[in-house]
Amino acid sequence: MGNTSFSKGLPSTLNAPPFVDNWRRKALIAGVVFAVIAVVLAFLGQGQDAQHLGWIHFWRGWLDGYVACFGFCFGGMALLMVQHLSGGKWGLIVRRPLEAMCRTWPMIVLMFLPVAWVGATDGRLYIWAQYSNWADALKKGLIDNDQAHAIRWKQPMLNVHNYWWFSLACLAILSFYSILLNKWSLQRDADPEPNVAYWRTKFENLSGFGVVLFAILLFGLVIYWVMSIDPTWYSTIYGFQYLVGEAFMVLPLAILTLIGLSKAEPIRSTFRVIEQHDLGKLCFALVMLNIYFAFGAFLIIWSGNSPEEIPWYLDRIRGGWGVIATLDVIFHWLIPFSLLLSRDLKRIQSKLTVACCVMIFAGFWDLFWLIEPSYRDAARDLRLSWGILEYVAVPAALFCFWLVYYFWQLTRRPLIPTNDPHLAEILEHDYVHA
Amino acid sequence: MATKDAPVTNPMIDPVTGEYRVIAPGHTFKSVTDKVSRIVLTTHTPLGWWFGFLVAGGFVCMLTTAVTWLFVKGVGIWAITIPVAWGFAIINFVWWIGIGHAGTLISAILLLFKQGWRNSINRFAEAMTIFAVMCAGMFPVLHLGRPWLGYWLFPYPNSMNYWPQFRSPLMWDVFAVSTYATISVVFWYMGMIPDLATMRDRAQSKFAQFMYGLVSLGWRGSVRHWVRYETASILLAGLATPLVLSVHSVISLDFAVAFMPGWHTTIFPPYFVAGAIYSGFAMVLTLAIPIRKFYHLEDLITIRHIDNCAKVMLATGMIVAYGYSSEVFMAWYSASHWEYFMMWNRMFGPMGWSYWTLITCNIALPQLMWVRKLRSNIGFMFLMSLIVNTGMWFERFVIVVTSLSRDFLPSSWGTYRATRWDYMTFAGTLGFFTFMFFLFIRFLPMIPMSELRLMLPGAKVREKAEPHSTGTPVPEAGD
Repeated sequence: MGNTSFSKGLPSTLNAPPFVDNWRRKALIAGVVFAVIAVVLAFLGQGQDAQHLGWIHFWRGWLDGYVACFGFCFGGMALLMVQHLSGGKWGLIVRRPLEAMCRTWPMIVLMFLPVAWVGATDGRLYIWAQYSNWADALKKGLIDNDQAHAIRWKQPMLNVHNYWWFSLACLAILSFYSILLNKWSLQRDADPEPNVAYWRTKFENLSGFGVVLFAILLFGLVIYWVMSIDPTWYSTIYGFQYLVGEAFMVLPLAILTLIGLSKAEPIRSTFRVIEQHDLGKLCFALVMLNIYFAFGAFLIIWSGNSPEEIPWYLDRIRGGWGVIATLDVIFHWLIPFSLLLSRDLKRIQSKLTVACCVMIFAGFWDLFWLIEPSYRDAARDLRLSWGILEYVAVPAALFCFWLVYYFWQLTRRPLIPTNDPHLAEILEHDYVHA
Repeated sequence: MATKDAPVTNPMIDPVTGEYRVIAPGHTFKSVTDKVSRIVLTTHTPLGWWFGFLVAGGFVCMLTTAVTWLFVKGVGIWAITIPVAWGFAIINFVWWIGIGHAGTLISAILLLFKQGWRNSINRFAEAMTIFAVMCAGMFPVLHLGRPWLGYWLFPYPNSMNYWPQFRSPLMWDVFAVSTYATISVVFWYMGMIPDLATMRDRAQSKFAQFMYGLVSLGWRGSVRHWVRYETASILLAGLATPLVLSVHSVISLDFAVAFMPGWHTTIFPPYFVAGAIYSGFAMVLTLAIPIRKFYHLEDLITIRHIDNCAKVMLATGMIVAYGYSSEVFMAWYSASHWEYFMMWNRMFGPMGWSYWTLITCNIALPQLMWVRKLRSNIGFMFLMSLIVNTGMWFERFVIVVTSLSRDFLPSSWGTYRATRWDYMTFAGTLGFFTFMFFLFIRFLPMIPMSELRLMLPGAKVREKAEPHSTGTPVPEAGD
């Protein structure tokens, strides 16, 4: 233990630098601006369409932004648990940003309430909630036979009561996990002795079960929140796709945070090129995994060409949606793949920043492509209207407000966890591991 | 439960991290080299090796008999018939290919992830991959009915101007599996070159010196050699990594692109890959546990390896369980009569016993691996490896047989009962696999000495403390 082979000591300050407050202010201003734009667009859209979809689009945009922010919060928690299980230096350096992400759970719970009320209770986002009396709706020609059959069959699950109950129960469980992970992390820091084995075992025990639980709960949540928008469609890989999709946005945000923080201590001397390179490689792996899932599902459904499944893709390719789908492939795979393939790029902060920004943008773009065509008025018909711009304004506003909270949480704890066996390694110079 | 004050008395546990050590303390470069090379260079072949080799050879004879009779009589000696046209042949093919995946994952992905613990087991895991692919490759070729025309699967200019059906995933298999086999062999052989040179330098007999000299390709251990070796290793690992995903994904598409209830499901590619790694790691343990005992390699293949393999099995087993659960849930959620019936038939149909066997072996019993103490119990882990491999075989049985035997039309339903030739062929490949493995451990270094030496404390480069360091010193984890 009393080894003297370390190269650098811990920086004199471990707290977040003062410029994080500036980030928070800027995010707040941007959030307010986008929120105002979103309201204006809702009014403009309300008058523009014959169907008066302005406010409907506002809430669809909210759902889009909410799913993304949920992913940043609890996807961050999932990645935190994965790094507790896998160990390694990369986990140590991203731990505090990930902990800060998952401490934003109160905001995620609050953001859920309006979308659940409007979407399910009021029935404006979910057809199964709107037409729970499916027989009457079928008679009036408001839904077709397939939709009526799906709503009738799935009613034990797809009903307003269960939607609320399940969603709130999941949010409570995940929030409890977040509280526990953060509390223990602080206790570990305060422990006068390293007690490495004790803490490692404790975090492993919590995280092992937590990762499994998260995967199961996410599977249920994405069915309720997104897949059930079109109750006639189903796919067994849907939960997996969201699982990877969340990591696809969380890791780039964690890297961007570290790059931003590396302008000052304590991250300047601890975020070495070697860890940056490792995180870049992990991003690259996520890019590949993401396209693997997406293409696998597409290939199977396309080759099956069955009337139950293929409309989901046709709704998202025809009627102008082909442009969005093509750009989705470009943003989601082609650009990050081409950029992250380069070893040098992963080691240069300014260039890795570009790749990470593209990945986060691609995540939002993909959610738009997944959510909007699920509605009958938008399927196979991409109409450019004021309302459609809500998919930019509302998610951007929600994301900015979430960032405000995230940056605030970032300033509340030391950025480097102590009592970790990998601490000595990240304090060595780059060339030791080059 | 974690306790703060538990004293560490086991020398195999690092007192700082509380984790099992990758290599037992006290080893030097020389002791590692001696221990591994002695197994191969000894003139005294252990009796136990001869016994195992002869038993495995007996099974190879059985395989030869079964295949010869197949050539004489045709595939009619197997139980395959309409509607179950894919019987043991495809079940065994998928099972063997899956076994091989752990080798590629250990040698390629864990190398890229800088997981040092892989070093003791990667060589024989790679060998396992190659032998498993050899066993797997036999089945589709024999299943062709006219195996001597197997070369028709490859696109080549011919007088009939015929091309293979490139839209069929069975054709994709040809390319996926042959690429996989090629990369695996190259990776395995290239990684062995420094050790083959060590064997050349330590061999006593002229013949051994000549043979190891020939296959070590003039390796001298110069800096230039090592630089190229490291570069090639990383490049091959980069090439092999997508193969871990792609090969079994392509195999899953054999089923998933067909419009058959129970087959046509989007989760198949990742769930097949996870299942492959699951069974592959189980097979690594099935081989590693007796080998470490027989050759007294407990200090090189330590409890850390067993524990880590168990963790990987637990993780991939949970992904597999997620896949099963997703299928069950979607069978209801789909609101499709066919999907619903398929799941009911799997669970409670005439072959429901096979479904519950796979659930017991792949999901229920492996949950015991959550218990830390059981993960480090050698006997338990050996038993668990056998259980998982049995369960994974039944998974393929359920997918192939239950779906095919009861498809859309009740008038076309049938049943399946394997013949003695089916069993003999399968058991024969198990023997062939073991036979090849016995040859491997006798004539080639099964543990990569060169990589293991890099893990010893003497190989680690550490810089000295900076005199100008002003911050708080940080203690370092023990080696």
